[in-house]
Amino acid sequence: MEVIVKMMNIKRVISAIEKNYIIQNLRKEERFDDRGLWDYRKISIKHDVIASAEGSADVSLGKTRIVTGLKYEVGEPFPDMPNEGVCTVMAELLPIASPLFERGPPDEQSIELARVVDRGIRHADCVQTKKLCIEPNKAVYILFVDMYVLNYAGNLIDAGGISALTSLISSHIPEGKMEEGKLVWTGKYLDGEYIVKELPLVLTYGKIDNMIFLDPSLPEELICDGKISISVTEDKITSIQKSGEATFSFDEIKMLIKKSMEIGKKLRKDLNFWQYKVNYE
Amino acid sequence: MPLVINDEYPEKLFRDDGKRLDGRDKTELRPIKMEVGVIENADGSAYLEWGNNKIYAAVYGPREVHPHHLAKPDSGILRVFYRMTTYSVFERKRPAPGRREKEISMVITDCLKPLLFLELYPGTSFEVFIEVMDADGGTRCAATTVAALALADAGIPMKSLVTAVAVGKIDNELVVDLSGIEDKAGQADLPCAITWFNEELSLLQFDGDMNLEEMEEFLSLAKSALSDIYEIQLAALKKKYIDIQEEVSGGNS
Amino acid sequence: MSFKDEEQRLKDDNQEEEAVNTEEDSDPDEFEDEETTRNLVVPGEILTTDTKTYLPGRGTILSQDRSKIISLNIGLKQTKKNYINVIPLRGFYTPRPGDKVLALVIDKNPVKYRCDINAKDDAILKPKNTMKRGRISRGMRGGPPDRDNSNAEMYDIGDILIAKIVSADRLNAPELTTVGKYLGKKNNGIVISIDPPKIPRVIGRDGSMIKNLKNLTKSTIFVTQNGRIWLKGEDIAHERLLIDAIRKIEREAHTVGLTDRMVDYIENEKKKRGLK
Repeated sequence: MEVIVKMMNIKRVISAIEKNYIIQNLRKEERFDDRGLWDYRKISIKHDVIASAEGSADVSLGKTRIVTGLKYEVGEPFPDMPNEGVCTVMAELLPIASPLFERGPPDEQSIELARVVDRGIRHADCVQTKKLCIEPNKAVYILFVDMYVLNYAGNLIDAGGISALTSLISSHIPEGKMEEGKLVWTGKYLDGEYIVKELPLVLTYGKIDNMIFLDPSLPEELICDGKISISVTEDKITSIQKSGEATFSFDEIKMLIKKSMEIGKKLRKDLNFWQYKVNYE
Repeated sequence: MPLVINDEYPEKLFRDDGKRLDGRDKTELRPIKMEVGVIENADGSAYLEWGNNKIYAAVYGPREVHPHHLAKPDSGILRVFYRMTTYSVFERKRPAPGRREKEISMVITDCLKPLLFLELYPGTSFEVFIEVMDADGGTRCAATTVAALALADAGIPMKSLVTAVAVGKIDNELVVDLSGIEDKAGQADLPCAITWFNEELSLLQFDGDMNLEEMEEFLSLAKSALSDIYEIQLAALKKKYIDIQEEVSGGNS
Repeated sequence: MSFKDEEQRLKDDNQEEEAVNTEEDSDPDEFEDEETTRNLVVPGEILTTDTKTYLPGRGTILSQDRSKIISLNIGLKQTKKNYINVIPLRGFYTPRPGDKVLALVIDKNPVKYRCDINAKDDAILKPKNTMKRGRISRGMRGGPPDRDNSNAEMYDIGDILIAKIVSADRLNAPELTTVGKYLGKKNNGIVISIDPPKIPRVIGRDGSMIKNLKNLTKSTIFVTQNGRIWLKGEDIAHERLLIDAIRKIEREAHTVGLTDRMVDYIENEKKKRGLK
């Protein structure tokens, strides 16, 4: 286990010299961790790690770490969608993850994480909710994708997106059917191939002055003037979220959308998500 | 509505060959793995796998007390927060902490407090956060055990570690280290913890029925199991440093 | 006060003096000490049962029945004369008067600054303790000195200061001063944090380790007691190398032969990374 030298412990205030250091180096397109402006930190993924869950993923993006679990319930469908199941995403920023996190109910940051990841999945035709129906109007699957942040080192959203998608792909949910009004198990399982169609990825960029860069690390995130997260599938843009005070020009947005499609394609290929499908018999 | 598969308790907790359902002997522990220094940002941290239990513990402190009114002028305070993730159990748990988690937090606080010198740090707080990612019986004991490691990893002066284990009675037999099924379907459950500086019990709970002889045998079975688990804790604490020593000397000591 | 002295004083004040660690800046490097074993001990571990010969020293305690000496920390066992000590490998910083620290200003009001010094309490810096050296402005025609605080250095939230601890006790917040040689605000460079017990290792016996770091990476470094290190290199590549080197020292502090190993490491890395 490596003992890592920390930049000065970030508590409530970032030092002026650290801020200047980051900005001066960004102007030269240098980042402290030796990355280019459009590079991700190292990504590592472990799937199906939680025995009690019906799908799970332990994802690290640099030192940011999120462990996501998939659980299901069987319940009544929404009245306006009687043949469809439901998939809902939640996030918790655990107090162990950072001295900046406090205990208590979900705050703005955890709600933003959950919603941005949720929208990236929802609008991408990712979870095939029509296949999650056991009996129309009576019984459908409700999937819960619950993300827990174990260590916060910047850019929770992209790590969250990867962990949520991997959990869904590693799913093994008992297949149920109605027999004489009772719910019984067919002996089989619904897996990632059944549940997941498209593979959305969300890419987050930070902006400081007029410099834009991918995958902000913690110090970059804390000093940036704004962020933008763009969710993409192989051929579509499915959701965008801008946050913070910074403004983005039309050209910048067009450039970022184009970049997101390119980087998304490459990342999807490198990560090779379908290897995380499991076979439970 | 019920789940597709429901939590069923088997009728017998021993197999025909006399072993327990997971293949163990009566006094055998489940496989246990421990590691320290696993959460970057924390002042001290540890991770434990015990059977299917997967638990993280992280310590922050000494630091300012929030909210301020809880601060004590003549002593530091210790707060333990034991929480379980929604996906750590068979049926998804509600995210907010329930009464059981709060009770376990209190019980673990009572185990850890006697180890520390809180009077040396007036007006500050030590916080121990325990996150159960995957639960399978004996979680409060596993949580206590890993919390002690996290405190030591933080460099907080301690009189010793504390170690915990649950012993119990299943199908009329006394066994050590109850798994999830054994805990739910068994007849008696006794989680206990020992603080090593005075070799006394700092956690003791009991549910079930037992007679006096069984109780005595229980406690001696527990003592022996606790020593074995203690060895694993010590090794985990030292491993990080010993590995580095070996690495730099090229394998020579 | 002659015109010449005033001129000299102004010159001194305008030069940004590079802060340099002296021997007084740190505890002796216990890790290099001969009496420190490589014997790793943990809290509760029995160090000896011979309580007639030995006495409990730093990081240890006598058991209740007085029959054994027990370690309180995770660290290295050390026997000095008839004291058994434990040199801790992990720990938090406890402020002591005279310590030099890197402080971050996190709050301010007209009567004081509040600073984060990586300790359990934030420290206080009063304006009277920020007076620039030797400047006493006189009124017209050499009258009595001005008594306002306009000689005080003004700091902002987010400033990094090298400060000295003036007082620290159980009940009160530690107090700082920035009056003194090398003390004051830093305008450039960066600050990193390491485990406070490992700071003496970064300085090394007779400053040997820190000299190597400076010369081999062509950087300036200032190490403080509260586990923080200010550094500035030629460029970001040299700074990265220096930080990687410090990371290695922190990780291997408890091993032998570290000083020589560090020289090899830095030389090798410079070649690998194409640095001079």
